[in-house]
Amino acid sequence: MKSKFFALALAGGLLAATALAGAPAHADVKIGLLGGVSGPIAAMAPAMIDAAQLAFQQVNEQGGVLDGQKIVGAVGDSACSPQGGTDAATKAVNIEGVTAIVGPHCSGAVLAAAGSVTIPAGVTVVTPSGTSPEITGLADNDTVFRTVPSDDFQGRALARTLKAEGYSKVAVAYINNDYGTGLANAFKSEFEAQGGEIAGFAAHEDGKASYRSNLADLASGGADTLVIFDYGDGTGLTLLRQALENGFFEKFIGGDGMKSDAPIKELGAENLTTFYASSPVGEKSDALNVFNEAFKAAGGDPDAIFVTTSYDAAFLLALAVEKAGGDKAGIPAALRAVSSGEGEAILPGEWKKAKELIAAGKAIDYKGAAGDLNFDQAGDVPGAYSLFKVGANGFEVVSEMK
Amino acid sequence: MELIGLANYALFMGIFIGIYALLALGLNIQWGFAGLFNAGIAGFFAVGAYTSAILTSPYAEGRLGGFEMPFFVGWAGAMVAAGLIAWPIGKICLRFRSDYLAIATIGVAEIIRLVVKSEETLTNSARGITNIPRPFGDLPYVQSQAAYLSIVLLCLGLCYFLVQRQFNAPWGRMMRAIRDNELAARAMGKNIEGRRLEAFMFGAALMGLGGALFAHFNRSITPEAIDPMVATFLVWIMLILGGQGNNKGAILGAAVVWIIWSMSEIATDQLPAEYAIKAKYIRLFLIGLMLQLVLRFRPEGILPEPTRGESRPAQVSAQEKD
Repeated sequence: MKSKFFALALAGGLLAATALAGAPAHADVKIGLLGGVSGPIAAMAPAMIDAAQLAFQQVNEQGGVLDGQKIVGAVGDSACSPQGGTDAATKAVNIEGVTAIVGPHCSGAVLAAAGSVTIPAGVTVVTPSGTSPEITGLADNDTVFRTVPSDDFQGRALARTLKAEGYSKVAVAYINNDYGTGLANAFKSEFEAQGGEIAGFAAHEDGKASYRSNLADLASGGADTLVIFDYGDGTGLTLLRQALENGFFEKFIGGDGMKSDAPIKELGAENLTTFYASSPVGEKSDALNVFNEAFKAAGGDPDAIFVTTSYDAAFLLALAVEKAGGDKAGIPAALRAVSSGEGEAILPGEWKKAKELIAAGKAIDYKGAAGDLNFDQAGDVPGAYSLFKVGANGFEVVSEMK
Repeated sequence: MELIGLANYALFMGIFIGIYALLALGLNIQWGFAGLFNAGIAGFFAVGAYTSAILTSPYAEGRLGGFEMPFFVGWAGAMVAAGLIAWPIGKICLRFRSDYLAIATIGVAEIIRLVVKSEETLTNSARGITNIPRPFGDLPYVQSQAAYLSIVLLCLGLCYFLVQRQFNAPWGRMMRAIRDNELAARAMGKNIEGRRLEAFMFGAALMGLGGALFAHFNRSITPEAIDPMVATFLVWIMLILGGQGNNKGAILGAAVVWIIWSMSEIATDQLPAEYAIKAKYIRLFLIGLMLQLVLRFRPEGILPEPTRGESRPAQVSAQEKD
């Protein structure tokens, strides 16, 4: 009985899959776009996928890849969970037959999909938003890359900057998820290595009405500066407000999540004179302007989170496909070659120029909307960060972070 | 290439179905046999996954681990740990009646999830544990998946055999008696609390094994994997749909739900590109619709619980007739 049902279900499933998988034309080069379409980041994912699709659209309009083939983005739902991530990656690799993958979006999904699917299958993935430091250490045969800096990097940069600016004793409050934990731990280890003192270090849960007891605890260590790794339009705002109201701390430093307009609107700029936030600057570059214009013209919002990294991941993979001649195994090397820091600069959307240079055998260097994107040994990119303060017209840069 | 791809996909689905079938089997012991409404599957899943991860993964700075034991030790450890965790929980919570027990177990699962998410030295908090060894993980892609599938099927087969045996044994009959009429069973002198606790622990051990198989397959485990949606409620849907109280039904339910869940995305991908993102929600809708239809037209599930004697080997029934 069981086996009959099993066989029936499986046979039916396979039949359907065969019928469906027969459809795509072989002339196209497919690149998977795995994102958390359903699940906790459902609000962010569509814009990220649209940005990646924009890159493919530009490539196709300017002659396509290889011998004029089109790049097709195969959208998959990784649901921001390991279960969804492996499922989507398996389908992308085996049913869609993708050459490479942009995504998945969440770190847990990246780790699981890489571990069980893409590394064994030898398919390159470039995640635009998986920021967990664990991704750096994967034994990945050089197939896992990212266009967003690891949380580790920002935490360390912030620690060095604060120490250099004369802060020596701080308390740290961080939201209890991979973002907050990653940043806080990196910050702590670097700050202590630089000789600073962490006088309080505690995680807090999302969405509580009051954090006064957490703050009192942190303040009991005697530090006058509170470092907050949280989101400025969520729990971080509550934390900041209650710390100000009750005078627990004098100075406040936030991570990039805290650089939101919400605190200024809610608390008033005049109350935030001692509030600083670190954030990726997206380096006021030509590349960023070019992308912003193009994405706006395509109906997208260029200020949405992770759209620049998504676009860059997609465009870089298109360049790598061209450079590697469509060979799946050659993509990692090609990816490094097209963004090595040496060669003629290529800005977002300059596909035709890049294609000609590659055909002529010249070196190119992609300057992404999110930064220069020169990959290191582990496939990570260093980010460019600055420290911001609240001025009359919103956030203003105070200093660059090294 | 197409055929190998399809084979790969089928192998992958087989592995996931096997893992979810183990969870559904565990739930079937608790709900199907003993009538315990456990809404905290994710918690036992997590205990199993993390126990095995800690026992088998290589050393990493800042957290417990580095024992590098072989995978079967990890899996056995996962079952023991999940079963042991279930003991105090059961001791306290099993006095509650059905819906109150559900609330209590949801609470317990959340506690476990938050501990896993917060305890840096135990589970590496929100960053999770990576580089977990996968048996036969060094083989090429297809062979490695095939080998893992056979291990999963072996585990599932063994568990099915044992659970089915228990179902037909006096123990199973007693469980159902307690479930259907507690007062009568107590009057017969049965130790109801003790039996319930046994069922709770056995079920939890199977869930722990499912968690361990999952962690080793992905070579990593992160708190995102123990989200109640994918680790608790999906399993409930599988069991209700397949047939509560029927072990074959539990396995069938896991297969049907996962196949619909996974393959409907392939179907929706055929829609025009502008619907690519919206179409992803169709599969959530499909699962809900399936459940509604089954509950409306076949509330006992696809394979209903066998009535007395039906599922016992033919010769045993024949002997009794003599």
